[in-house]
Amino acid sequence: MLCTEPFEVTARNIARVLGLPGYPFLMVQHPIGSCTVTELKARAQVAYEQAVPILLQT
Amino acid sequence: MQLYDPTASGPRCSLSRAAPLTGLDGKTMGILENGKLNAKEMLHEVALLFEERHGCKVRAVYSKSNASAPAPAETLAKAAQEVDFLITGLGD
Amino acid sequence: MPLDARIHEVPDDLLAAIDYCYEQGWTDGLPVVPPTIERVHAMLASEGRPPEAVIATHPATALELSVHAAAVNAVMAGCVPQYFPVLLAAFEAMDKPGFNFHGSTASTGGSAPLLIVSGAYGDDIGMNADVDLFGPGNRANATIGRAVRLILRNVFQMVPGISDKSTQGNPGKYSFCIAERRRGNPWPLLCETQGYPRGVSSVSVFAAGGFCNVENHGGNTPEQVLGSVADAMANYACITLGQSVVILSPEHMRIVAGAGWSREDAQAFLFTQAKRSVEGMKGIGKYRDGDYEQQHGANAHRLVEPGYVHRGLAPDDILITLGGGDAGGHSCFIPSWSRGRSSILQHKPIGVCVDCK
Repeated sequence: MLCTEPFEVTARNIARVLGLPGYPFLMVQHPIGSCTVTELKARAQVAYEQAVPILLQT
Repeated sequence: MQLYDPTASGPRCSLSRAAPLTGLDGKTMGILENGKLNAKEMLHEVALLFEERHGCKVRAVYSKSNASAPAPAETLAKAAQEVDFLITGLGD
Repeated sequence: MPLDARIHEVPDDLLAAIDYCYEQGWTDGLPVVPPTIERVHAMLASEGRPPEAVIATHPATALELSVHAAAVNAVMAGCVPQYFPVLLAAFEAMDKPGFNFHGSTASTGGSAPLLIVSGAYGDDIGMNADVDLFGPGNRANATIGRAVRLILRNVFQMVPGISDKSTQGNPGKYSFCIAERRRGNPWPLLCETQGYPRGVSSVSVFAAGGFCNVENHGGNTPEQVLGSVADAMANYACITLGQSVVILSPEHMRIVAGAGWSREDAQAFLFTQAKRSVEGMKGIGKYRDGDYEQQHGANAHRLVEPGYVHRGLAPDDILITLGGGDAGGHSCFIPSWSRGRSSILQHKPIGVCVDCK
């Protein structure tokens, strides 16, 4: 689950309330809405690198 | 004096993570987008990297009609049946 | 009491108890009334449902508001028991899916629930529908609205910076509760248009994104007065497909209704006038094909004008009624936090059940 940095505390709080403290999120730079394609691709790379070990739980 | 606590009790839910994938090559992906600006585009860029590097395929794109409401339970159930992993996002 | 009702033992000193509430993080930044057992039980005595009855459930976290928890927070806000039915009805309305409880309380958009009480109940409990309508000084208006915020914070954990990510906030997050003015109102009351039986009052809840004073002291036709309201509604900062609340001052209402305009006439005028060209919307980066299609597509209202983006989808997206003091050419426009249909105004009857199964 991809999350921009200002919402990290929000995401972790909801995960805690839902009984999943420590749930791993993909943290990327904020914002997304006004990004160019180049900026989106850069954020995607950051997200991908975090996603692989999460999916494999390594 | 005695005061009643005005807050909620502790967590009502107890969820668990899905089992880890044994590998990524050839796995099927789903995208769950929330309709916000660039949400679909952002998630597709992430999916593209999995396509290029692991031969994963986007099998389904799910959309939330309401960005700030939880995804309908039937959407999540469908995704769990149809794909190996789901890429989604929150924030604005 | 609910089995999980927790009690805190504090020194028998009122000021120390107020400080204790601050230390626990239970306040909105202002001192609260310590929720003693006696006061909470007195609040509960005004309600027929058991304390453990659930009034509302947060859709994202499943946290629940019980009658008991509502009573505790109502005491802290300074409510008296006669206000409690309004508070409960408000959360029942917010619990309806169409209101979007989570989004409207968590969003960067700074939404605050605006409560509008319609009917005799507001007068019976001494609410203000008159001068300084949205201002301080009236216990019912202030504390009912405040209780909403304390519940959102304490029960639903919508804490600023953690789950409430509002970028700028909104003064209405302290308290945003008014009564619709009955005295001198030429139009049917909201509770009547909402279809409730005669004698039943209602509370409407609206995810409000802000407040804009609309001043016009020179206009003396409905078109002039409502033209200035429409311009406020169409400002680039606010224009979306979302709903609107417009409160007309008595001076302005005399001009509008005095010329024979009905509520529907006023809504239709505002809808046709509160618009921006597609080019203008593109120029500031707020145009979206999907929004235009939603407004101009198969279900387009007959008053929608090609080439323009109107505020809302139809005239009945604009709630308009009377409120405020007798003097002053000042009405107000309150935009919905929702930029589309993700939060729609909801309402419930106060103190009665009209559709019980």
